[in-house]
Amino acid sequence: MKRLLILVSIFSVFACSDKASEPETLTIIDNTAEVEAFYRDNPDFFKFKSIDDLPEGLNWIDGSDLPEVGSPEAQKGGTETVRLADFPRTLRTVGPDSNGSFRPWILDDTTMAMAHRHPDTLAYFPGLALRWAVDESSKSVFVELDPKATWSDGVPITADDYVFIFWFFRTKYITAPWYNNWYESQYTGITKYGDHVIAISIPELKPDTDSKVLELRPLPRHFYREVGEDFLERYQWRFAPTTAAYILKPEDLNKGRSVRLTRDPNWWAKDKKHWRYRFNLDNINLVVIRDTPKVFEAFKRGDIDQFGLNLAEYWYDKLPDTDPAVAGGYIEKKWFYNVRPRPPYGLWINSNQPYLNDQNVRLGIQHATHWQLVIDQFFRGDAARLNTANDGYGPYSHPTLTARPFDIEQALAYFKAAGFTERGSDGILQKPDGTRLAFTLSSGYEALKDILTILKEEAAKAGLEFRVEVLDATAGWKKVQEKQHDIHFSAFGYSLELYPRFWETFHSDNAYDKAFLGDGEVNPDRKPKTQTNNLELVAIPEMDSLINRYRAASDAESMIDLSHRMNELHFDYGSFVPGFKTGFFRLGHWRWIRYPENFSYKHAAGATQFFVHWFDETRKAETESARQTGNTFPPEVTIYDQYRAL
Amino acid sequence: MIALNPQTRKKLARFKKIKLGYVSFLILGTMIALLAVAELFVNSRALVVQYEGNLYFPTYADYYPGTAFGGDYSYETNYRALQARFQTEDQGNWVIMPIVPFNAYENDATGGIMRPEPPNADRGHYLGTDTTSRDILARLVYGTRTALLFAFAFMVSVYIIGIVIGCAMGYFGGVFDLFFQRLIEIWSNIPFLYMVIIVFSVIPAEASIPVRIMLLLSVMVLFSWTSMTYYMRTETYKEKSRDYIAAARVIGAGTPRIIFKHILPNVLSTLVTFMPFTVVSAIAAITALDFLGFGLPVPTPSLGELLKQGTANLRTAPWIVTAAFGTLVLILTLVTFIGEAIRESFDPKQFTLYR
Repeated sequence: MKRLLILVSIFSVFACSDKASEPETLTIIDNTAEVEAFYRDNPDFFKFKSIDDLPEGLNWIDGSDLPEVGSPEAQKGGTETVRLADFPRTLRTVGPDSNGSFRPWILDDTTMAMAHRHPDTLAYFPGLALRWAVDESSKSVFVELDPKATWSDGVPITADDYVFIFWFFRTKYITAPWYNNWYESQYTGITKYGDHVIAISIPELKPDTDSKVLELRPLPRHFYREVGEDFLERYQWRFAPTTAAYILKPEDLNKGRSVRLTRDPNWWAKDKKHWRYRFNLDNINLVVIRDTPKVFEAFKRGDIDQFGLNLAEYWYDKLPDTDPAVAGGYIEKKWFYNVRPRPPYGLWINSNQPYLNDQNVRLGIQHATHWQLVIDQFFRGDAARLNTANDGYGPYSHPTLTARPFDIEQALAYFKAAGFTERGSDGILQKPDGTRLAFTLSSGYEALKDILTILKEEAAKAGLEFRVEVLDATAGWKKVQEKQHDIHFSAFGYSLELYPRFWETFHSDNAYDKAFLGDGEVNPDRKPKTQTNNLELVAIPEMDSLINRYRAASDAESMIDLSHRMNELHFDYGSFVPGFKTGFFRLGHWRWIRYPENFSYKHAAGATQFFVHWFDETRKAETESARQTGNTFPPEVTIYDQYRAL
Repeated sequence: MIALNPQTRKKLARFKKIKLGYVSFLILGTMIALLAVAELFVNSRALVVQYEGNLYFPTYADYYPGTAFGGDYSYETNYRALQARFQTEDQGNWVIMPIVPFNAYENDATGGIMRPEPPNADRGHYLGTDTTSRDILARLVYGTRTALLFAFAFMVSVYIIGIVIGCAMGYFGGVFDLFFQRLIEIWSNIPFLYMVIIVFSVIPAEASIPVRIMLLLSVMVLFSWTSMTYYMRTETYKEKSRDYIAAARVIGAGTPRIIFKHILPNVLSTLVTFMPFTVVSAIAAITALDFLGFGLPVPTPSLGELLKQGTANLRTAPWIVTAAFGTLVLILTLVTFIGEAIRESFDPKQFTLYR
């Protein structure tokens, strides 16, 4: 029966795709009335005032003195070919399937917010805002918008495009509960002072109050006039007017194969400071190539211009410095150390599963996983041991906690305390009643599956069996979101924030439906809460109260102290085995792709993130002819270690 | 000694005369015999340990902790290290290791870095190591064993179902035949590879490796038995109308007796000729599934997994793909030769190009 159902669903998928090619016969929607009614019904949130009501004495900042991003030497022009691992399933930037690897190209890395953190100093430089001011008394940030700013279709960007986001992200039409919750709970109001001044208020002041507001991106009100019940289908393949330098023309969307982005010659910020030397390529051709080895071959042929060399096997073996293309100077290799929050690669133990709910078992697992071997032999010493789930947050990260080392004797002692006293016929520990010390170790990282087999081999020495399960990325993530895992190897992608978040991962609200009874007793009937990031099902009353204090705190000093105490508590609980962190990124690129003198920025996540590279036509011709004639150039292998952590 | 029917003896004699097939059969037979006891040749466990006057045979025994031989650790003895230690201590203790002293799972990184290394007879890696420094020969041997075992189990199951249903269809005919024909037509149009992929993605992780292999086998059998029924059905139809069947029925033989005792032996030659090709396709299928990542669970050694690694490291580690591809070609060629020879020797028309 199940098989039949699957078949039926396959057929219906085909049927749907047929329907999509029919001419659109969508009903006409105009949500103006609905949106305005929403504004009216929430008068405490949406306030409309005149510019004369603007409070006086605000401390305006404009960030204009920050250094440029990009190099004045950059030239405009050229086409870069980039690999996409999978064709985007939608052009929406919100809702199901939208948060994929394609979204940075049309949202995260390319569009403009009101202001952006300078990648070297972390201070804000202006984007869509002219200037801004933080008003502590009203817990608000006032922003004056740049009147010159326009959408890519020429429509000016006004305060209405900002007011609108608080309707859009809170409506159920977008099918995005996280956004619904975030925009309901993290903001307390928006005030429009005429067309180009707004004030947005947040519940609590924070050391980075400004970031909560300045990093908001407007939505084109005129484009989203048709948002309604069928939002997901209606906007599935519509490219929204954008603030980015790159636009997507309908004819450049070659479904299943490629997407071509074109630089907008009329982009409003093309001469603006901090923006003028960026987004230099005329076209970016995103081509779907699923297989990474194939991408690498295409890169070596010169069909693809740049290739990430983060994995040791690529940097050392597949593209060594002695490779003719590198030694001949055709391909340049760059190794850049950066400073930013580190994705917490490690083992997330589901402390709600049988035996894993025993702290002794968890601590035994900590000592039975040989991460140092992985770091030394698999990463060839380039990575370092992660110590907590929140490394890389400067003073907010714990200064002295160190991850527990691989130690068979200690692991055996902890397992013994948990009742796993004797080794079975294959060396795996068991209880006197025959219960084996075996857990499923799952992961959605196909590329890192070797790590799991290394851990498995070593854990067996401590009498612990890992049953390795490698899933595809989506299935793996679904598994942990459903809290079905025993132990899962994964990491969160942390964005550049000043201080870590704890509520998402450690609060009992995100672990169980009702973790505790009224008197603080553990609720015996509690059910795990799905679709949250508390992967360990941490539910400790003390942690909850620390998190609440942390969320309410507004000064850095007490937040740092609380952050350290939460990390210590988490460390003692032992449900996260810290794995590794890499303090750098590596890139190989053909010599016609050029980068600014310092290559990248202190807090950059990757080389291409800020689009400061450019395409050098003369160098391209020069290189092509040199490849024909066998001429060579001086090799370029550079390690930028000025930001290397000690 | 089982008395063979003179016809069969004649067929066997003819098979022996076809040299290519017969030699292939001998080679494959030897290979299978060796693979059955592969633990004696390719293993990290020692064959024999002599320690303080006692002899130990760890190969098929429970594990011996390091402390059993005077070590200071409680996990499984590292026999290679033990051998080295005994040699330096020189107290009359000794260890005999298998020819390839590695198992299919352990990482043996030279110089402390895991990466593919070319064949190196001195270290015992006769075919080199894979991307995480595991011995390729060990993975190849155990991978091949699983593939062959899988293929034979697959063949037997497919044939049992195919024969029973095919014969029944041919023998009973009528509505029964009609119903099953339609059923098979529908069933055989379900794309088998996709079904395996779909079914495999919903198997719970708790299932142990043997259980997962069994599940994979049953799914493959479930979608592969249909092709056999067509041949069995026509053959049975043909035989059924012959006089000897009528005679048997007149004597009063029951249906099962007629099918299995009279019809089956007479249609067997058709079956036998198909067998090797079924084995070939089963090996190819399991390898393809592994290559796609839907086959045996990580880190079970398999030909497909090696092929995948090999193609991903074609330039830097050509020995991986060479080893896996070579083995696959060898086995498939041997089985095909045997198949051709069987077909030839069972063919009533005496004509052959294979001699």
